[in-house]
Amino acid sequence: MSVTLSKLSLRNAKRQAKDYLVYFVTVVMAAALLYSFNALVFSREIATLSTGLSMLPVMVALADVVVVCVFGWLVAYATRFMLRRRGRELGLYLLVGLESGQVARLFFLENLAVGGCALGLGVALGGLLYQMLRAMTFALFGQTYRLALGFSLPAVLLTAACFGLIYLRALGRSRRYIRRANIHDLIYSDRQNEGAVIRTGKGRVWIFTGSILLGILGTALLMVSSLPVATAGAGCLIVALFAFFLSFASGVPAFFDRRPARKYRGQNLLVFRTLTAKLATMGALMAALAMIFTATLISEGTGLVFRGLFLGRASDTACFDLYLGMEGKDRDYSLYQDYIRDHIPVEESVSYQVYLAEDHRVRDYLESKTVYHYFNFDRDPVLRWSDYAALRSVAGYPPVELGEGQYLLHCMGYLEDILKAYDQPVTLGDLTLRPGGVHAEHLSQSEGENGRGYILVVPDEAAEGLAVNHTAYAAKTREPVPFEDFYNLTVVMDKIWEGTGLGDTITTKAQAEAEVASQTALCVFPLYYLALALTMTAATILTIQQLSEVERYRKQFALLQKLGMVRREMARALGVQFAVYYALPALPPLLIGVPFILHLARLPEPGVMVGASSPWVILVTSVAVFFFIYGIYILLAYTSLRRNVLPEG
Amino acid sequence: MLQVQNIEKYYGSKNNVTKALDRVSFQVKDGEFLAIMGASGSGKTTLLNCVSTIDRVSAGSILLDGVRVDELSEAELARFRRERLGFVFQDFNLLDTLTIEENIGLALALNHRDPGEVQGRVREMARKLGIIDILEKFPYQVSGGQKQRAACARAMVAGQSLLLADEPTGALDSKASKNLLELMTAVNRDPGATILMVTHDAYSASYAGRVLFLKDGRVFNELFRGDRGRPVFYHEILDVLAALGGDVSDVI
Repeated sequence: MSVTLSKLSLRNAKRQAKDYLVYFVTVVMAAALLYSFNALVFSREIATLSTGLSMLPVMVALADVVVVCVFGWLVAYATRFMLRRRGRELGLYLLVGLESGQVARLFFLENLAVGGCALGLGVALGGLLYQMLRAMTFALFGQTYRLALGFSLPAVLLTAACFGLIYLRALGRSRRYIRRANIHDLIYSDRQNEGAVIRTGKGRVWIFTGSILLGILGTALLMVSSLPVATAGAGCLIVALFAFFLSFASGVPAFFDRRPARKYRGQNLLVFRTLTAKLATMGALMAALAMIFTATLISEGTGLVFRGLFLGRASDTACFDLYLGMEGKDRDYSLYQDYIRDHIPVEESVSYQVYLAEDHRVRDYLESKTVYHYFNFDRDPVLRWSDYAALRSVAGYPPVELGEGQYLLHCMGYLEDILKAYDQPVTLGDLTLRPGGVHAEHLSQSEGENGRGYILVVPDEAAEGLAVNHTAYAAKTREPVPFEDFYNLTVVMDKIWEGTGLGDTITTKAQAEAEVASQTALCVFPLYYLALALTMTAATILTIQQLSEVERYRKQFALLQKLGMVRREMARALGVQFAVYYALPALPPLLIGVPFILHLARLPEPGVMVGASSPWVILVTSVAVFFFIYGIYILLAYTSLRRNVLPEG
Repeated sequence: MLQVQNIEKYYGSKNNVTKALDRVSFQVKDGEFLAIMGASGSGKTTLLNCVSTIDRVSAGSILLDGVRVDELSEAELARFRRERLGFVFQDFNLLDTLTIEENIGLALALNHRDPGEVQGRVREMARKLGIIDILEKFPYQVSGGQKQRAACARAMVAGQSLLLADEPTGALDSKASKNLLELMTAVNRDPGATILMVTHDAYSASYAGRVLFLKDGRVFNELFRGDRGRPVFYHEILDVLAALGGDVSDVI
């Protein structure tokens, strides 16, 4: 019997993989994702890229926990679903004389076989996915990527352990169910159906309205920069989503019952009835899926916001190979100079001072035109023309001209257009200077080093007698400044602080870029890891639900064909039905996610989230990434359904 | 109304051909109630499928009100079916997700009738068939007999000229069967619906005005009820069936 049983298990496993192809592909992708991120954690090569990556294992492990829970839910759901669908077959095994233990073992073995295959395929695919992650990480750190295929044993073992957890939990439950179930329960298991939770008309309207209001409140609270308030907002949103989907399922028929003419127009009748029949039995599930999609969108948006934030801040501060900002006028910085001379080969450098004008007219103008937060400077900051020209050369920018009796403005990109419209003269001592142009290359201005967002560039003689805000040094080096030298310079900085109480700033391009890379790897990778896992899980559950209805749809369309419905109309009805079914759980996440992402992307200081990191670009990218993955599942399900349910043309 | 002329229907591939219908010819007049009887495999369902344009004939022709249905395109056939034919199936074939009212209204919606009029016409038909009280219920909430009445309503609500019934009493108990057959007789008389019913049940066939007997894909015999009472006609049908070689279990 055991031979027969294993053969039967194998045959059933094959059939299961074929019938639930979308589910099988998702489980394979789950194994691939788990393996690739685990391999990233266990890679010594990655760990040596930067000390900033020391937290990566912790971040991935945290994401792993969530991913295992999410995929665990998917596998448990799909197993329960298949068990219900195959109850009749399993009941028949009992009927022909198999013992419940044997049937439970049969179901267990075939699912284990599917899981095992998925794990094997997933690890193989994960090897390739890991190479992609490796290439991305190398690119982040500016290193050359070379293909090096191979498998990480610890990563394989961890992935297998995660899979074991996911599968054994789900299968243990089904095993217990089969062992306890009697033949009747199994054979008629597909007849068990959930009922609509809310039926009363008045209650439904109240709950529906309440859910919308609660959703708006929750979204607003989510955007408050306070953890307890945002948590309360998330709670409101969860309740709102459940209330919305449970009341929506009963609300649609009531809407059409009051408007019979609209019900019988076009494909409305078929579309809304199929939809409400689905929602009546899966309202709670839809709410859970909408929650998952909300989390996905927020993860994707947050990942991009972080990436933009790190990049935006670094691109401004990383414009010089080496920069020292020193408190005080005519500072003696020989300690730094000695170290630089002995250890860092400098190609070109400039020592200069940042002055203060006599008033803050430009700042007043900016404050009248945009949101501008000044700090460090109580008057407009000023640079001497000769220092500015040298700074441009050190930063590698082309030279510019300063006309007789003119001043220039150098600002961050987001202020350029506003300052171009500034046509007021500047008076310094006896000299009155006219505007001579605006330049907007990165010049370390976001943190207030060369002005806060903007600086006036005046002829050298005009700066004489002006108050000094601070001293600075910028250098162009032959090689990127290594971390060791950066570290040693900070040791010097600490000594000066201890001795004099003067606080300095040191930045190097290499260090700033490495920090961006590390922060990106630490925040963006895990967030996208989560987002992928969440989208795949939710889209798979929706697709399993949809494809499980193939037989019912086929009968429905066969009848409609007999009743004289043309194929084109059937295809349209199926298409609309399908679009509404997939749009419904994605709509509330969009309504919550869009304002949240826009809000989040606008939080950093001005001038950081610009260009490819501007709020709208981040929003569009997040939504596009989400719908790209979701779209693959929709397309798969739609082509399969259309092929299987529409009568031959 | 309906003319079936020498139709033949073959199934299968080159080396394994089954002849399901063999030169079958008959006519159905306006307002007639015709039953087609035969044992399993006699070709009666194939014949109904060909008449209902769900299946195409291999040879011969079918004319409905002078139109050759075997020459119509797919789109024309679909239009023909929804405007001219009404179907009643053994297993009711009502959509589970629609209420009884919506199932009946579906025939009108498919015919692109004014959506504002649908509910009124459905109610009018439901009143005639005695199912006005169950319109808001779903098929799983009503009895088999009520479902079949709803199917009849759907088959007639759009003014279809020919009602095709395939074993309509097959899934009903005897009381519900009797009610349904009486209803069919009534709609045959007023408003004069033309009915073509396929059945292997002699009792059901005895409600018809004429019975065609099929055997091995050919018309074997034909019985007219004339002015005789239904019980007498029933016994005559049984006699023909006995001659056909049918088992008693096939005819009750």
